Parts: sequence; C-alpha cells; structure tokens
Amino acid sequence: MSKDVIIRFEHVTKQYDGLVVLDDVSFEIERGKFYTLLGPSGCGKTTILRLIAGFIEPTKGTIYFNGKNINHVPANKRQVNTVFQDYALFPHLNVFENVAFGLRVKKMKYADIQEKVAEALRFVNLEGYEHREIREMSGGQRQRVAIARAIVNEPEVLLLDEPLSALDLKLRTEMQYELRELQRRLGITFIFVTHDQEEALAMSDQIFVLHKGKIQQSGTPKDIYDEPVNRFVADFIGESNILPGTMIADFLVEFAGKRFECVDQGFYPNEPVEVVIRPEDLEITTRDQGKLQVRVDSQLFRGVHYELCCYDQHGNEWLVHSTKKAEVGEEIGLYFEPEAIHVMRVSEAQEVSDGEGSDET
Amino acid sequence: MKRKVKWDNLYLIIMFVILYTPIFYLIYYSFNSGGTMHHFQGFTLEWYKEVFQDTRLLIIVLNTFVIALLASAISTILGVMGALAIYYVKKRRMKNLLLTLNNVLIVSPDVIIGASFLILFTIIGIQLGFTSVLLSHIAFSVPIVVLMVLPKLQEMSPTLIDAARDLGANQWNVLTKVILPFITPGIFAGFFMALTYSLDDFAVTFFVTGNGFSTLSVEIYSRARQGISLSINALSTLLFLFTVLLVVGYYFISQRSSRLYGMGGRK
Amino acid sequence: MKHNTRNVYLIPYVLWIVLFVVAPILLILYYSFFDIEGQWTIANYKKFFTPIYLKMTFSSFWYAFLITVFSLLIAYPTAYLLTKTKHKQLWLLLIILPTWVNLLLKVYAFLGIFGTYGLANAVLEALGVGTKQILFTDFSFVFVSVYIFIPFMVLPIFNALEELNPSLVDAARDLGASAWTTFRRVVFPLTIDGVKAGCQAVFIPALSLFMITRLIAGNRVITLGTAIEEHFLVTQDWGMGATIAVFLIIAMAIVVIITGNRK
Repeated sequence: MSKDVIIRFEHVTKQYDGLVVLDDVSFEIERGKFYTLLGPSGCGKTTILRLIAGFIEPTKGTIYFNGKNINHVPANKRQVNTVFQDYALFPHLNVFENVAFGLRVKKMKYADIQEKVAEALRFVNLEGYEHREIREMSGGQRQRVAIARAIVNEPEVLLLDEPLSALDLKLRTEMQYELRELQRRLGITFIFVTHDQEEALAMSDQIFVLHKGKIQQSGTPKDIYDEPVNRFVADFIGESNILPGTMIADFLVEFAGKRFECVDQGFYPNEPVEVVIRPEDLEITTRDQGKLQVRVDSQLFRGVHYELCCYDQHGNEWLVHSTKKAEVGEEIGLYFEPEAIHVMRVSEAQEVSDGEGSDET
Repeated sequence: MKRKVKWDNLYLIIMFVILYTPIFYLIYYSFNSGGTMHHFQGFTLEWYKEVFQDTRLLIIVLNTFVIALLASAISTILGVMGALAIYYVKKRRMKNLLLTLNNVLIVSPDVIIGASFLILFTIIGIQLGFTSVLLSHIAFSVPIVVLMVLPKLQEMSPTLIDAARDLGANQWNVLTKVILPFITPGIFAGFFMALTYSLDDFAVTFFVTGNGFSTLSVEIYSRARQGISLSINALSTLLFLFTVLLVVGYYFISQRSSRLYGMGGRK
Repeated sequence: MKHNTRNVYLIPYVLWIVLFVVAPILLILYYSFFDIEGQWTIANYKKFFTPIYLKMTFSSFWYAFLITVFSLLIAYPTAYLLTKTKHKQLWLLLIILPTWVNLLLKVYAFLGIFGTYGLANAVLEALGVGTKQILFTDFSFVFVSVYIFIPFMVLPIFNALEELNPSLVDAARDLGASAWTTFRRVVFPLTIDGVKAGCQAVFIPALSLFMITRLIAGNRVITLGTAIEEHFLVTQDWGMGATIAVFLIIAMAIVVIITGNRK
C-alpha cells in the first residue's frame, strides 16, 4: 500500500538562541487525514506548526511538501493556511474583508471573491454575517470566521493552533464535532495542535505525542491510549496507575507483591518494567474476590462515576473509576482483566522520566 | 536575508549618527581654542573656565534648577490630586470633560500658552519674573503628571481598595497604604517628566519672564542670536553630561521599581 | 462623608483648570477684540483676512505639513526597525535622549554645522558639490525642525507597533500577502493611531515654532508662532497677536479632532 505523503520532516531541529525546542524530529503526514500534535506547553508542537506554515525556518534538517524542499519558501508562497490560537482576525476589517483577505491578495475578481466568501461562510454556518465587525462577534463566531478565512484559500493543509482553547467547555465540545465533520467534507489534511488529550483522542486519525522537543509516540488514538510506550505518554493521556514491576516471563508480570497473567511478551526474563492500569479498568469487588486488596482513602463523586483513591499494603496508590460506591476506610478488592495490564520497558520511560514536572496546562 | 538585515542596521545607524551629530559637534568645538565652530585649532579648557567665572550665567543656571525642582514638586502634588479626582469622578461625561480640559495645555503650542499666561499675569497684576515663571511651569506640568499617574490608577484593581476597606482601613489608610504605594512609579515618572519639561522649556518662559529674570533656555537664545560663542558649547557639554547622568539614574530607578512593583505585570 | 473627602482632590485641580486652562483661552479671545490703543474693535479680524496674513497662515501650514510628512517618512521606518532590534527599550531610550538636551542648544549646534565653513559644507565640498548657503534658507528650517521632532514621531509609532499583535502579521503572510502587502493592508492601518498621535505631536508645535525660524531661517520663514511672538513682545500689539492666536487655537482644535478619534 503506497502512502500519499504530503509533508515530510527529516531530522528537523529548531533552536532559539541555542535553546533546542525541536530535537531531530522526523515524521510523515499523509494527505486527507486529521492529525493532532499533542503535548504540554513548551513541548515543541507549536514550533512544528510554525515550521510548516513557514513563519520560521529549521535550524537543521529538511521539510518536504509534496516532495519538494520548502525550507526557504516564505509563508505567503505556501499551500498551507493557519487558524491561530487567538484567531488573529484583523480588527480593522469586517467579517467579509477578513475572509476575503487572501483572495484579494491574489487579485481575484470581486464577483468571484463574493461568491467564495459566501460559500466559506456557509461552510462554517455564518451566512449573513458578512458585514459584522469582528468586535461584534462572540468567541465561537470569531473561531468560525478564522476557519472560513483559512479554508476559503483552498489550502492543501489546514493548520490549527489550539483553536478551541479560548472557548468554554460546551462550545468546545460542539466545535470538536464540527471540525471533524469539516475535515471530512473538505477532504484536506488537518494538523491540529492541542494540549488537551481528550480533544486529541476524540478528533484525530493520528496523534503525535510530543515532549521536550521529541515525538514520544505516534499512532491512532486507540493505540496511544491502550499501549502507551512510556511513562510520560501514559501519564499525559488519561489518568493512570503506574507501578514498578518485573516481567517474570512472557505473559507473566509481577507487581504490588503479586504475580499476574498479562498479554505482553518479548521482554528479557526478570526484566524490570513499569506497569500501567487505567482507573476505569479496575472493578470494585469484595475483598476476597479481588485480585488486589486495597483500603479506600478518599472518594469523590464525579458525575458519571466515583473516583476512589486507595492504597494497597505496599503503600502504592490506586486510582479507581467506578460506578459503584464504596465507604471511606473500607477494605475492598480490585479486579481487572489481563488485557488491562500494559507493560512498558523502563528504558523507554527513563528517557523522559526527568520531565515529571512539566505537565502544566 | 542577511543582506536585508544589513540595510536595516545601516538605516538605524545613520539615524543615530544624525541624531547625535549636533550634540557631539557642540561638545567637540567646546574644546576649540580657535573660538569658532569650524577649524579646530587646538585643545583648550578656556571656555569652561569662562563658564565657571561667569557669575551671571551661574545664577541663571541656579535659577533654572530652582524653578524646575519647585515646579515639578508642586505640579506633582497637584497632578496626583488631579489624577485621583478624575479617577473618583463617576459620571462619564464629567470625566471626559476633565480629561479634555487636562489635555488642552498638552496639545497647545507653547506660544499660545506663553501669550495667554502673559495676559493672565498682567491682568492679575503679578510682576513678571520668578513668580510668573514658576507659576507657568507648574501650570503646564500639572497635566503631564496627571497623564502619567492616571493609567497607574486605572491599572489598579478596584478590589484592592475593597480589600483594604474590608481589612478595616479608613480613607486615609487606603490612600497612604494602598493607593500611593501602588502608583509610586507613575508619580516618579510624572515628576521626572515635569522636570524635563521645565528644564527644556523656552517659549513659555520667554513670554512670561520679565527683564530682570532669566532661565538657561532664554539666556542661550539671546546669546545665540548674537552669534556663536564657545562658552555656550562648554555649557552644553556640561548640561549634556548632567542629562546623561539623570537618564542613567532614572533608568536604574525605573528598573528597580519595575522589579519591585512589576512582579505580577511581567508576562 | 465618603463623598466629601473625594471632592477634596477636585478643588485644587478644578482651580488649576479654571485659572490656567479656561481663563487664558477666554482672555485670548477677549483681547482679540481690542486694538493697540485699547479700543473695542473687530479690525484685527479684518486685518487677518488681508492677503499678507492669509499668505503667512498658508505658508505656516505648508511648512508644518512638510515638517510632519518628512518626520513621518523618516520616523516610521525607524520605529519599525527599532521594534525588531534585540535591546529595543535601550535603543528607544537612545532615540529619546536627545530630546532631553535643551532644544535651543540643538538649534544652536546647527548654526555651526550649517555655517559657511561648517560640517555640512565640508561634506558638500568633499562630495564635489561645493559650498552652498544653507543657513537662513527654508531648507535649513525644515531640516532642523524635522530633526527636533523625529523622536516625538518615533515614540507613539513605536508604541503602536509594540501593541500590534504579531500573529496578525503571521496571519497576513499565511494568507499569501507579501511583506509589502502585509505592511500596507495590516500593519499600517493598525498603527494609524500611533501615526495620528505622532502627527499631532509634530504638526501643532510646527505651526508655532518661532525660535527656530529666528535662529536658523533668519526671518525668511514666518510662521503663526513668529507672528504671535512679534506682536506680543516686539510691537506690543496684543490685540492682533491674540487674534492670530485665536486662529491658531482653532487650527489646533481641528487637528486634534481629525487626529483624535481614537478609541
């Protein structure tokens, strides 16, 4: 199966004043898919976006667009458009002129401009808003204008720099659906930058998880959620219980003082590993029926589920999401399937283990 | 790309050269024994000696500084009061009216200010001289101080005052313990601006100064009208050094105060 | 009680406004209706509309316009390039520093530079142009005025450029605009307030300069300012001086209204 690659990064490094923000990154972006660059602030995700848009040039390495080196092609000559984090709508122009900006620059005929702008505004459900001023628009509407302004130029790739971060929760969820739908209808490549893992999981075909200027893991949302390759990814994507353990043999792992059946193989015998179990994969049972015995330390009602914080006899903390309620101080049992255990090599985790404190949002 | 940066820098360099040429030209020839602002004949400090022996000139320098310091101190007090007054006025129209009137003297040409003050002092019967010059300098410095202090006041979170009231502070406490410390950088900036405006003023002073009293600007003007005299150059060198010292001092004070007060303000 | 203490601040401030803002303007207006003998008259206004005064007004506006335009043309690129430098606050300080040197001293320096044997002629000589009469020409007047006003034009434009959201420039580039188009359609329109403030800070004083005209232009250039000074301090015809001042105030008000519709 031949891949239809539109953008390729080859060993791209970007430094600002000697500070490495992107460290020897290589990846490929295929045509027509929805990509998400996910990571905490300062991880280099926006840098990748700005490199693709052409606002900055790589310090080292090469960026290919449709097979051509575009390292020195200025932003205004690229088949790429951006939706900015703060929307960057021109405050001195109204909605129509904002959307028409790129077309006017291309010296398109006025009748064509009118038609295209109207179409773009229809696409984002803003018909009839042509003559509004930007300051009269709400946050969600501005967002749509910014999208219309970008897609009216028919870019091959649309870059979205945390476009939903300024919206409130309800609107954000709505826009997630709309963006995904928009990408399907347009059929072009979207590259979406966010620090919100739920957003990334919900919208993407492919996710790149970034940390400290390196791509930690790339894959489908399911891959990344179910099989995090290291501690950083496991920690950043969803909530997890991460414990040190030992891989006794294929399909047998030891942690919390016990041995458990699992689905992982290919480790050295007795290799030290880290074990990830998602809180929602843990089931509350009676003390005797559980694979693990823990004491409930605290409990919060989260709406769809209860969040329990428990400790086992070795002092390991266990986070449990359950629809069942427990009593604080009660001894309970935890049950989980062998598939719920994700085993990670420590070496892969070690590489980023010094980055614990950087999960600011 | 590289080439473009070079042209950019060249433009800026030419700008700075042109901006500073006259100043250094003056300084350079202040050491000329030839007595003219061309053909440097030999190094001399004669003109500096002349400046320091010219009692009349020294008195004028002293006058200028006394006027400047007094005017900026008094106008700072008035200006802070004015800023507080504008800040506390609730009605929008009243506020705008006060602001407009405040700005009249800032946008007015110096000749208008000078001429109108001349009429004013003549009508009231104030003798032209020290008093009239001082009053004029205070008058045109007040709006500058207001404009420097007001943004600081508006920057202040209203909950800060509420918090102080909540903690039991009375009006006076609120003013001295909360508001004034917060706007201190603005007050300093206002004072320094007033000082510069006063030291630099020529036109207004020229109108309202009588025969007996003179400030540096007026003196330089009357000497310059008679032609070139290198003692003016010597004087300007001394003044320039003084200005640089003042700027450096101001720079450090503002650096320090921005470190003290601007902690939260930095991005 | 609360109200009273707050009004305390108003009293000295309003007193200042009445005494030094309102009263002087009214006095100027009042005096414009008196002739040199102290008789009530509107002759001053009639005189103002004679060709001599109208021509002077026109040339005063023309010079102020030239000074403003040249200051803007030089100051805008300067401000723009300044925002691109590394230690921009320091460079800005260096632009402002010359304004702290007494205006008269800078004007006086040009007496030397533009003199027959001065620096400017030495440069012209070296370029093979030969010695020219520079002092006491309109050129020297405009040049020195522009020199004096450039920092006042740079400062507001610099501030406006600093306030400009850099992602707007990125957005324009992203939408295909060249550097020039970006400047013309985004940067300049969005910094127009700074340009207006700068023009206001230059145009109004340029109308009323009299020391520069006296020292550098040797009475070849007569501005409204020169005329006012002449009437008040030389011929002692306060009435006529006040009349010219009234028109200068009107001009000032118009300029402020044109340049002042800022949000």
